[in-house]
Amino acid sequence: MEYLFFVVRRLLWSVVVLLGLSIVIFTIARVVPGDPARIALGPLAAQEQVDKLRTEMGLDAPLPVQYARYAGGLLQGDLGRSLLTQQSVNSDVRQTFPATLELVLATLILALAIGLPLGVLAGRYKDSLFDNLGRFVALFGVVTPSFFIALLLQLLAGYVLQILPVSGRLSPNLEFEANRTGLLLIDSLIAGRMDVFGDAVRHLILPTIALAAATIGQIARLTRSSMIDVSRKDYIEASRAFGIPNRITTFTYMLRPSFIPTLTVLGLEFASLLGNAFLVEMVFGWPGMASYGVRAIMQNDFNAVMGVVMVTGLFFVLINLVVDVLLGYVDPRIRIKGSQS
Amino acid sequence: MKSATKWLKPLLATLIAGAGLAFAQVNITMNTVQIFGTIDPAKVTDYTEYMAAANLYDGLVDVDETGAIVPLLADSWEVSDDAKQFTFTLKDGATFHDGSPVEASDVVYSVRRLLTIDQGPSYLVRDVLDVDGVQALDNNTVQFTLSEIFSPFLTTVPLMFVVNEEVVEANAVDGDWGQEYLNNNAAGAGPYMLDSWTRGSSMTVKRYEDWHMGWHAEAIDQVRWLVTNDEATVRSLAAAGDLHMTSQYQSNETYDALANSGNFRVVEEPTATGFTLKLNTKVAPTDDVHVRRAIACAMDYETIREFIFPSDPMAGPLPPSFGDAVLDTIEVAEYDLDCAREEMAQSKYAGQDNIPISHLYVANTPFEEEIALMFDAVFTELGFDVTLMAEPWNLITEMATDVNQTPNVNQIFFGPTYPSADSMLFTQYHSDAAGTWASMEWLQDEQVDSLIDQARRTADVSEQNELYQQAQARIMELQPNAFLGLQTVRHAMDNCLEGFRYVPMQSFDYNFSNYSWTCN
Repeated sequence: MEYLFFVVRRLLWSVVVLLGLSIVIFTIARVVPGDPARIALGPLAAQEQVDKLRTEMGLDAPLPVQYARYAGGLLQGDLGRSLLTQQSVNSDVRQTFPATLELVLATLILALAIGLPLGVLAGRYKDSLFDNLGRFVALFGVVTPSFFIALLLQLLAGYVLQILPVSGRLSPNLEFEANRTGLLLIDSLIAGRMDVFGDAVRHLILPTIALAAATIGQIARLTRSSMIDVSRKDYIEASRAFGIPNRITTFTYMLRPSFIPTLTVLGLEFASLLGNAFLVEMVFGWPGMASYGVRAIMQNDFNAVMGVVMVTGLFFVLINLVVDVLLGYVDPRIRIKGSQS
Repeated sequence: MKSATKWLKPLLATLIAGAGLAFAQVNITMNTVQIFGTIDPAKVTDYTEYMAAANLYDGLVDVDETGAIVPLLADSWEVSDDAKQFTFTLKDGATFHDGSPVEASDVVYSVRRLLTIDQGPSYLVRDVLDVDGVQALDNNTVQFTLSEIFSPFLTTVPLMFVVNEEVVEANAVDGDWGQEYLNNNAAGAGPYMLDSWTRGSSMTVKRYEDWHMGWHAEAIDQVRWLVTNDEATVRSLAAAGDLHMTSQYQSNETYDALANSGNFRVVEEPTATGFTLKLNTKVAPTDDVHVRRAIACAMDYETIREFIFPSDPMAGPLPPSFGDAVLDTIEVAEYDLDCAREEMAQSKYAGQDNIPISHLYVANTPFEEEIALMFDAVFTELGFDVTLMAEPWNLITEMATDVNQTPNVNQIFFGPTYPSADSMLFTQYHSDAAGTWASMEWLQDEQVDSLIDQARRTADVSEQNELYQQAQARIMELQPNAFLGLQTVRHAMDNCLEGFRYVPMQSFDYNFSNYSWTCN
């Protein structure tokens, strides 16, 4: 009962957060200078045409009325119409989201594959040469902007060595429509198109590395410090005293508890990358939702801007909710504290 | 063995022919810096969207590089004596991409669709043409009847792209004139068919073999536009042989790098797009014509054109490409500080110090910033208190809607939308067009308005030209601009790719049916 109350409470808070987000982003989108109707119709359109479109778009109504209409649409899952693409934002998000999702998933897999062993080994061999090297790599990844790494990779792998494609998701000569999941890697495997799969992997390599650098650093640093913390626990000392092999102590008794904070951060990182991938997407011509959002901002396409923010916000809230609920399940102190506050 | 050779020969022949065909296929890639928002010909507005439309659709007539109107879907046309009726005869044999013939009813449908949706290029004709003003006289003849004389009408017809009525109506939803459908699909009779389109990333069009104008031997089979404004990406793509033509907005470093690669050359074409300082004639101190003339005298044009923004000299409101409509007695202004001081001495602000003056330019545009700094240095010396304003383009368009929000001096590019002097003069200087970024001069002069109106209502070309010249003389007298230069458009093009010619109309210079691949 106590746990159910905790979950319901978290759910209600999530709704409040989304409501707040919608009000904030709606207000920001409306106060940004520039008339969206004028931008949509072009600079030379007659004022009468602009006024007509403003009326059609409901921009002539008072702001609270506009918000009420927008919120009403949101409740029905309608994100409105994009001025830039002249189609529904839902449709734009459906088209662009899989590309970003694929990039983010690949990024997380790569970040885990490199960051976790790096953190474990650095923690295990603290202050060794390997630890210092690992810390340098992690720090480099965290402090270097992803777009800078993207440009470096592009110049090196695309311009100098010319070994990997530097733009898009697929070579233009390959005809393939990812119409099942939208994820090229999965859809090409389902369709048995290994040529498409290979090409998609080649296109994915550079943007994934560029986007993963910071996450690798974060995971490595977090895992390292958790490993060091855990290594000081009594039960680790005891396991060593009992002569349990180092390999088992490290990977069974130390890594498991050390991995919990990393997992929490990974969840948040997933949602964060959805919105933050735009620079890498812009550099690599990746047709994802993040670059769609940036273009929408540049064009004052406020429905698209709000749509992208709301979708990203929804992911943040959902992942936070899942993490909180799971932590509450695992650790009773959290749900008791949560239900008392 | 005999039976083996029996099928081996045709197989080899097929393989060789196939290899030959594959070899002959010419696919080129060009980068654009903006995305294709829509390809609906009734909604296209910016140069990228027109680039797609000009390849996917044909209009009744076309524009050549001199700005002359030439036949396209119509092979002839007649203008009534009162210049209100335009009758076009369609050519035989023109077909849409689905193979169906282009008929007069399709033209009528397309124009009515444009006027009803009332977006895109409709603003050009909406005041003089209504939906009943376009009629099909028979299967091959279309007649436009204008409510009043509008002399530039013929020059706007190329922007009325013809859509396939049958296809559009078959895909229309709730009487939407097929807006949803044409937003993502093409139904035209242009030289290229839509092959694929990944919004925000790329668009590919392929040659329509049965295009009514026919194809030359070195024609381009497939064009792919790649959306990227990143210089490193452009260079990498070019180095890998995946790019054959750059956008016109690359940095000098990229142009130089590509030219030095040996595979590219930089093609430069003068344009009719003017780069001017638009001076707000309604707010102090640029409300005084002598101050405006002082500004025109005090700009170092040569330095700007030679070093800051490579461009051609510009004398007055109309570029030389407008031929007989241009007032050729206007001389290109020169940097003359004494002239500026003399003009200031005659102004109502003479003897004042620290006269506030604002100078607006587009943020993050280095060459505009350099010009603004140059302005600051010169005009501080002349006794002004200069405020430099670097603003994003969206905000500039907003500021332009209010005379009091419009700064004194504004760096703006403006080029013709259709190949008529009207496009340059009406849009920038007529009172009815005030309140946009193109008319930040807020000229609102009755004499200029009257001359432009008269030219619009005059069917006689020489009389029109005379009126346009008088309008230019009056504009120069009022000096609402300092004419900095005529923009030069530049593209890095693969050495094998030919055919870029500036056309004074939207993006018609990117109609790839005019391009050739000259290497085997």
